[in-house]
Amino acid sequence: MSSHDQDPPQDHPEDHARSTSPRQGEGASASPRRISLPIVDEALAATETASGAVREQRKYWRSIAEKEGSPKLAAAALREFPPGASELPEVSRRSFMKLFGGGAAAAGLAACHPSDEQAIPFVRRPEEVTPGNALHFATAYGVEGYGRGLLVESHEGRPTKIEGNPDHHDSLGATIRYEQALLQGLYDNDRAKQLKHKDEPLSWNTFLGQMATLAGRHAADGGAKLRFLTDPTASPLQLELRKRILEKFPKAKFTSYSSIAGDGAADGLRLAYGKYVEARHELTRAAVIVSLDADFLGEGPESVRAMRQFASGRLPGAPMNRLYVVEPALTVTGMSADHRLRLRAGDVAGFALALAAELGRRPGFAQLAGIASGGHGVTAGDPKWISAVASDLIKHRGQSLLMAGRRQSAAVHAVVAALNAALDNVGTTVTYATPLLADPLSGPKALAPLAEEIAAGQVDTLVITAYNPAYTAPADLKFDKLLARVPNTIYCAAYEDETAAVCSYIVPAAHQLESWGDARATDGTISIVQPLIAPLWGGHTDIEILSAFLGEGDLGAYEVLRRSWAAKQATVPGATGEFDQVWEKWVGDGVIVGTETTPEAALTLDGAAIQQGLGALLAAGPKGGGVEIAFVPDYKVLDGRFANSAWLQELPDPVHKITWDNAALLSPAMAKSLGVEVERDNDTFSVLVIEYKDRRVHAPALIAPGHADDSITLALGYGRTGSESVADGVGFNAGLLRGSDAPWFDRGAQVSLATGMHLFGLTQNHWSMENREPAIATSLADFENPRSEARELIEERRAALPTIHEPHDYSKEQYKWGMAIDLGKCTGCSTCIVACQSENNIPTVGRDQVVRGREMQWLRVDRYYSGELEDPEVIVQPLACVHCETAPCEYVCPVNATVHSDEGLNEMVYNRCVGTRYCSNNCPYKVRRFNFLDFTSETPAVRRLGMNPEVTVRSRGVMEKCTYCVQRIERKRIETRVAGRLIEDGELKTACQQSCPAGAIEFGNLNDLKSRVTKAQGDERRYDLLHELGTRPRTAYLARVRNLNPELAKG
Amino acid sequence: MSHGGGFEPRRYVIGQFAGPEAMLDATRKMRERGHKKLDTHTPYPVHGIEEALGLGRAKIPTIVLCGAITGACLAYALIYFMNVVDFPINVANRPIHSPPANIPIMFELAVLLGGTSSFFGLMALMRLPEPYHPVFEAESFWRASIDGFFLSIEVPAGQSPEAVAAELKSLSDVSIEIVEESER
Amino acid sequence: MASTATSASTTRDPLEPIPLIEGAQTDESLNTSLLDHVWRSPGKGWWTLFGLALAGLGLLVVGITVTLWKGIGMWGNNIPVGWAFGIINFVWWIGIGHAGTLISAILLLLQQKWRTSINRFSEAMTLFAVICALLFPLIHTGRPWFAAYWLMPYPSVQGIWPQFKSPLVWDVFAVSTYFTISLLFWFLGLIPDLASLRDSSRKPLQKVIYGALALGWRGSGRHWAEYKWAYLLLAGLSTPLVLSVHTIVSFDFAVSILPGWHTTVFPPYFVAGAVFSGFAMVVTWMVPARQFLGLKHVVTMKHLENMNKVILATGLMVGYGYAMEHFIAWYSGSKYEFAEFFEVRQRGPLAPVYWLMMFCNVVVPNIFWWRKARTNLLIMWVAALLVNVGMWCERFTIIATSLHRDFLPSKWELYAPTWVDWSIYIGTIGLFSTLFLLFLKFVPAVAVTEVKELRHELAHQAHGHAEEAHG
Repeated sequence: MSSHDQDPPQDHPEDHARSTSPRQGEGASASPRRISLPIVDEALAATETASGAVREQRKYWRSIAEKEGSPKLAAAALREFPPGASELPEVSRRSFMKLFGGGAAAAGLAACHPSDEQAIPFVRRPEEVTPGNALHFATAYGVEGYGRGLLVESHEGRPTKIEGNPDHHDSLGATIRYEQALLQGLYDNDRAKQLKHKDEPLSWNTFLGQMATLAGRHAADGGAKLRFLTDPTASPLQLELRKRILEKFPKAKFTSYSSIAGDGAADGLRLAYGKYVEARHELTRAAVIVSLDADFLGEGPESVRAMRQFASGRLPGAPMNRLYVVEPALTVTGMSADHRLRLRAGDVAGFALALAAELGRRPGFAQLAGIASGGHGVTAGDPKWISAVASDLIKHRGQSLLMAGRRQSAAVHAVVAALNAALDNVGTTVTYATPLLADPLSGPKALAPLAEEIAAGQVDTLVITAYNPAYTAPADLKFDKLLARVPNTIYCAAYEDETAAVCSYIVPAAHQLESWGDARATDGTISIVQPLIAPLWGGHTDIEILSAFLGEGDLGAYEVLRRSWAAKQATVPGATGEFDQVWEKWVGDGVIVGTETTPEAALTLDGAAIQQGLGALLAAGPKGGGVEIAFVPDYKVLDGRFANSAWLQELPDPVHKITWDNAALLSPAMAKSLGVEVERDNDTFSVLVIEYKDRRVHAPALIAPGHADDSITLALGYGRTGSESVADGVGFNAGLLRGSDAPWFDRGAQVSLATGMHLFGLTQNHWSMENREPAIATSLADFENPRSEARELIEERRAALPTIHEPHDYSKEQYKWGMAIDLGKCTGCSTCIVACQSENNIPTVGRDQVVRGREMQWLRVDRYYSGELEDPEVIVQPLACVHCETAPCEYVCPVNATVHSDEGLNEMVYNRCVGTRYCSNNCPYKVRRFNFLDFTSETPAVRRLGMNPEVTVRSRGVMEKCTYCVQRIERKRIETRVAGRLIEDGELKTACQQSCPAGAIEFGNLNDLKSRVTKAQGDERRYDLLHELGTRPRTAYLARVRNLNPELAKG
Repeated sequence: MSHGGGFEPRRYVIGQFAGPEAMLDATRKMRERGHKKLDTHTPYPVHGIEEALGLGRAKIPTIVLCGAITGACLAYALIYFMNVVDFPINVANRPIHSPPANIPIMFELAVLLGGTSSFFGLMALMRLPEPYHPVFEAESFWRASIDGFFLSIEVPAGQSPEAVAAELKSLSDVSIEIVEESER
Repeated sequence: MASTATSASTTRDPLEPIPLIEGAQTDESLNTSLLDHVWRSPGKGWWTLFGLALAGLGLLVVGITVTLWKGIGMWGNNIPVGWAFGIINFVWWIGIGHAGTLISAILLLLQQKWRTSINRFSEAMTLFAVICALLFPLIHTGRPWFAAYWLMPYPSVQGIWPQFKSPLVWDVFAVSTYFTISLLFWFLGLIPDLASLRDSSRKPLQKVIYGALALGWRGSGRHWAEYKWAYLLLAGLSTPLVLSVHTIVSFDFAVSILPGWHTTVFPPYFVAGAVFSGFAMVVTWMVPARQFLGLKHVVTMKHLENMNKVILATGLMVGYGYAMEHFIAWYSGSKYEFAEFFEVRQRGPLAPVYWLMMFCNVVVPNIFWWRKARTNLLIMWVAALLVNVGMWCERFTIIATSLHRDFLPSKWELYAPTWVDWSIYIGTIGLFSTLFLLFLKFVPAVAVTEVKELRHELAHQAHGHAEEAHG
């Protein structure tokens, strides 16, 4: 709060005078000076909401003064939930929402109470801000230390939609699922709201005071007993604060920890190159990509960019890339593979060595033979497969790329580095640069020393800004117990979670969208993180907490950040002139151009070191018999930090379509041998007991086609026991099995059947296409042969059909909306689903309703297996309303509630719908969604702040479905009409299209012959889904073409 | 008329017969003797009663026909106006005016109006409901709906019921009552 | 009156081996015996049944309240199974209703004498079945409070009209017409009997009530002349109506593009099915009713046997319908149709219902080839009951089974009804029974007038024959 006072409102009129209109949609994407507003808003918001919030706080202090005598009472008075709320037996999500509602009412906070909405910005409205018109502000967000650039849409000062920043290196305008769901994290009533010490409410100033005394005490011995536990970070400001803190407390230590960090890469590259470097990948240049358990399309800071680049190489006609994937469980990457080899995670090392050995036998790769020999004959994988890959790699020497996954050991990463070097990929498809992260290591290896110190009683004060270590730390560290032993633990908590339960100080964390800060992209480009709204519950950022130890806690993040950059201005190339202007540009653009770091030029690979190193590393790796248990960061809740987002919980994971759960994934063969039973409609499975070392968990099995045998994949991030009510009781905590010695996978687990079955909320229970081939996939060879079955199928599904009466003629219309989805590009990542949910105010229905088949997402991504179940080929197919020109849904509606627009949209008239559901019955695509119950009215007030004001919220008993984002069409129509022109191709994007990292979705005007969508629909691969029904869908599909290696092509 | 205006009660001669045949026979004869306002009362329709009473063709069929035709036309007009004239809209690319789709409702409305007109037409023709009728005054008339067969003759003003009764008596062995409309 | 002794023999229809009216009957005796159950105060049996019926009715109230309060989500429906119990029961009840109209109307036109003793009964059944059916189209919608009138063609503030290409709108007209006409037909036939009730009632209150209902009927010959025409014409209208109603109901499915629905054989096969289930329902009720209401002498084994013959015949038609569906599914070469009929229905998760349907509707009726079965009360009652079950299963198979696995395997979902579904279904049976028991209590279950007329006719014929014999 106080920071805002530093920035007196009266400066702002000039700011507006200087600034041109802020970023509006894609419209002004190039405009450099879309700035001032963020700051203005910030400041003005400050004056307004600060006063609002202060009002709150004063009232609040008073109440404490009254309750001086009995802090217990005070604490009780502050309970977020009515008594008994937490004891409810397995309550459905919707009844939780009820509680939220209650909570919101109880909280009665200025920032979130609808009646106070006008308290948000724009007291003196800058001329370019029109109520009802959205503004877009650039910021950045990252979970693994790097920040991805975002553009956030804001209505009247309320962030309502997240998009990617096209100018940002890691985003290119797209986003990843978590980012789409950020709003739910922001407007979450479960968030930690009260700064307290041992359940005793504190004010920020009191807290600062106490920190000052603490700092004073620690300064005495140079901070010997002062420790900081943070998320891995590359933020320049964080680094600077660390430096300054360490100057003040030389003996203090910083530790980065993330339960999903893969230290193998860092160590492996260190082994290969003698020092810590981090790899950057350039997939555009890669003709052959080999992934060793690397889900580079599905996870990690590079994934969005990687997907865009990978997709660009999937078009027949242009040279296509070829993807080989070696992995235990199907991932987004595995589903996109041309060839996939299922191997236990532990055998991937063997595969790497075998591949190295194979290459070593080929002329010109002798050095690899040497390195491979270091593996002492450890090998895995089908030799035929390996030799085929080897030949392919050699054929594409210099334009191939090998990647090892975060789970893999240093050995694998080292060998992969050697392979890349030997294949001359270094410098083209992969480059190495000095690490940007504060600490190269941030896995268990980094955490263990801290744990020892705590155990040894060498820590008095521990400042935790890392995410929920008590929950995420390896089980054997018993970190929650340790934390309880530390006299002063200061936890910057997003929620009152497992860690908050054992910490003495709980500082409610400001959400990323409420925070000032900075971040680095994977190429080093710096972004300024700016808030979109004043902290709803007066949270504070880690920066403020760290600054507290520098005696600057009262400055506030904004001022700390601004000062630091004011000082650093000179270091930024080309950033000359008055700081205010430079600053505004930086903040407005969301990227500071020219701050990227260049890769190391002269690096020499130390083959010998690898050769020696391998033995020890492999020895340390998993060995012996028994079932392998392999952990993965959950696709949706990651390490648990997104577990309270209903959008993500209800997002079907791309492969198995699980919602509201995690599972023990295992191969059909293994399920058989274990005697796993399957009941109901292939969605009810036996529960397993998994015992590993002295730990055991009960985990429901889920049969996963294509999974490696004798291996079980467990997703982290579930089985939460904190105060997050959405996450509560969802799934099981796989982390309880996790050891710091083998954090990712190990052999030797005992698996047996427990009593009972588990019913999963799967959105797709069926595996096969039943010979209907709704999604067409073919090999390049077949595709190039016009006689091939695949080609004939495609031709058949695009040929004109006979009609009884003339189809309506849309060619005269100004616009004829249409969509094309390229299955060749789509990886099934499902970001589009969350984007659609956010854009269209689609409710979540909760696990029970999903089980009943009533999920509401307008867009679904169908997944089909083909070939044999043990090792299937997979294809995904996004499917929303295809806007048939002869829509079967329309002529059966008795009340004209779904009809056709002049431009060919299949429109749903909510307020006319009586809910006969006849339209859905007659929809062959089954893309219509029905409000079986009242899914919306219980949405808590605070959550409503984030809803899209341009989209109606549907009531009970009404049918709904994809509208091609008609609200976006209309908004653009208005803008362009005002400008007296037509909507140009590309300036109008649907939510799914805009969020798609792969760029698989094209949308636009089919009457514009030059538009991308028209071109796409003219493509040779274009076909219509269920074309034979004569529905004339406006959404067309482009068949997927696999670039098979002739040596491996089956049949 | 004769007794200076006011209420002029209708008078009836009512004869009860053992069976339908006798009744029919008597009816025929009485009509031949020039009696106009004859009517029979039977528990179930007796064959040949129409010619005995000398009734013309039934009017109901014509009424029903008109009702049915009106129904059909109304339906078509209704649909045409609503979906073609007043609010034409592209529904699934179907023709705005599509006669086949109108047939079901045309038929239903034809039946509906036909049926209702037959019922209410009948009521109108029979002048029912009519809770009171002089014939109910007859002591034994309750048998008319059970097993009695009656012939009622409304005696015109200026004729004496007794004369009519005698005339009827002369035709067949029958128990006769003379009733007079009661004033309310 | 002379030859009451002979009338025992004379009241035989010489063409019919089993008499339509048993024993020596006069109009008087018929009158007393047939109205008896109205005057008699109901026995224990009636009260127990009535209690059960009311309990069922209670379930209905609960079910509907819950549905309106929380929403359709309380049912088992989902996407893709947008329709289930609601429409299944709707079609089932409508079908049952049809037999009534058929018996009273078509048999009247065909001048089937055996119709007379059962038509009143079956018309009542029609009426009550249609009332039960009418519930569902309304409560199965998401927003009944709008559905109640938005399907009607009235000038709404939204400036929009119903969409007349939708079979649901046709339904609205068909079913409401059907109800109206059935009601009028039933009441018209009832008037003379109400008169006889009026005239044979002992208590003044009864006299007043029945008097009012009788509309002052006095059996006037002039009235009878028009009345007979009106009755005949209503019958004439009802006959195509009953066919059209189920045809239109079948359009709800036939007009769609869903495999298993998109079938041209539906109209005739639905009508056959309707008659099939309707007659079965009549038998189910008639067998006990004639027992307890002392109607054995007018509802003779002859009637029951004839009805069983109709069940056999229509059963065979239904079987043919199934055969056709399957043949076309194969012959059309549509992989979706084929999968629907030969995989989903026969081997899918809901297959048991399909096989139960096949057993009840195709196998069971065939026992009526045997006269023994046709004339054995227990056998015919069980068989009829099974047919009712079978016809319900048919609707389930057509609606739920077809929906739960259609074109895209990605959106195949299981369907399972909830307790609300069941309580509403059972509830409608309760409603039906309640109405029916009230009907049996307050209105002659047999068309007294018509039976008297029949008796007269038969006597007449017999007389004629006798004369021939003499001359």
